[in-house]
Amino acid sequence: MAKRVAVVHGPNLNMLGKREVGIYGGKSMEEINSEVAAEAAGLNVTVEFYQSNSEGDLVTFVQQCRGRTEGILLNAGAYTHYSIALRDAIAAAQVPTVEVHISNIYKREPFRHVSVLAPVCIGQICGFGSHGYVLALRALMEERFDPWLA
Amino acid sequence: MKKNRKYLVVSGPNLNLLGARKTSIYGEGSLEDIHAGLRQRAEELNVGVECRQFNSEGEIIDSLQEAPGQFDGVIINAGALAHYSYALRSAIGSMLLPCVEVFISNVHAREEFRHKSVIAPVCVGVIGGFGKKSYLLALEALAKLGET
Repeated sequence: MAKRVAVVHGPNLNMLGKREVGIYGGKSMEEINSEVAAEAAGLNVTVEFYQSNSEGDLVTFVQQCRGRTEGILLNAGAYTHYSIALRDAIAAAQVPTVEVHISNIYKREPFRHVSVLAPVCIGQICGFGSHGYVLALRALMEERFDPWLA
Repeated sequence: MKKNRKYLVVSGPNLNLLGARKTSIYGEGSLEDIHAGLRQRAEELNVGVECRQFNSEGEIIDSLQEAPGQFDGVIINAGALAHYSYALRSAIGSMLLPCVEVFISNVHAREEFRHKSVIAPVCVGVIGGFGKKSYLLALEALAKLGET
């Protein structure tokens, strides 16, 4: 059976391609989703996409991933840096979650250097633009690249 | 024919002990297993890799200073140096090559002193938490950057 992965975008990511393109690039969220969907097809992974600007809706969605998906790719946008509620939702969902950022958050303002989500995620990928989502999907799914399992 | 891109992979102090210490954090495999995996993946991506390990901070800096002209990018797992070596940060910042920082473990789930990397701001990006796969994903990231 194909593995199921939820790709979750937080606040303002619906504006990708239209805001601060110097930082976030010119691709829209839909274009990024298409790239992830293409990669997923090759990996025999079923992906579903979700975006919300509302913290509460993101919490509800992540909670509902429990028992329903085998992985979450999460770009929580600015909520990354302060949403303890989202952190608790990830911990409660018990679904391996990879944190993705388009930009290198460590090159930016100090308030972006801390992710309150990172301790409950399996790992973090940041700085590689839209390719970060593809890398995150591979991190989550492609066990053939893990020599530890070989 | 276009020359294949070549990347330098540097692992810092104590990573020579992989597989022999704290295997619950760092996993069972050795650094040589990681290097073998990187060479295989490099072949698939049609790029070159050279893998080195140093316990000495100064030797890492020497290696990075010599990298431009020989390599097209660097993957670095600086180990504990990531958290305090401003000399390493300066060396990365000076070399004008894309550098990707990798961690085997999820540093954010560990001790507070490991939450901050002083080299991350001078790297293109950071990949951490995926075991040995962190290195392979970093190679894919650099190869993709080289295409554009």
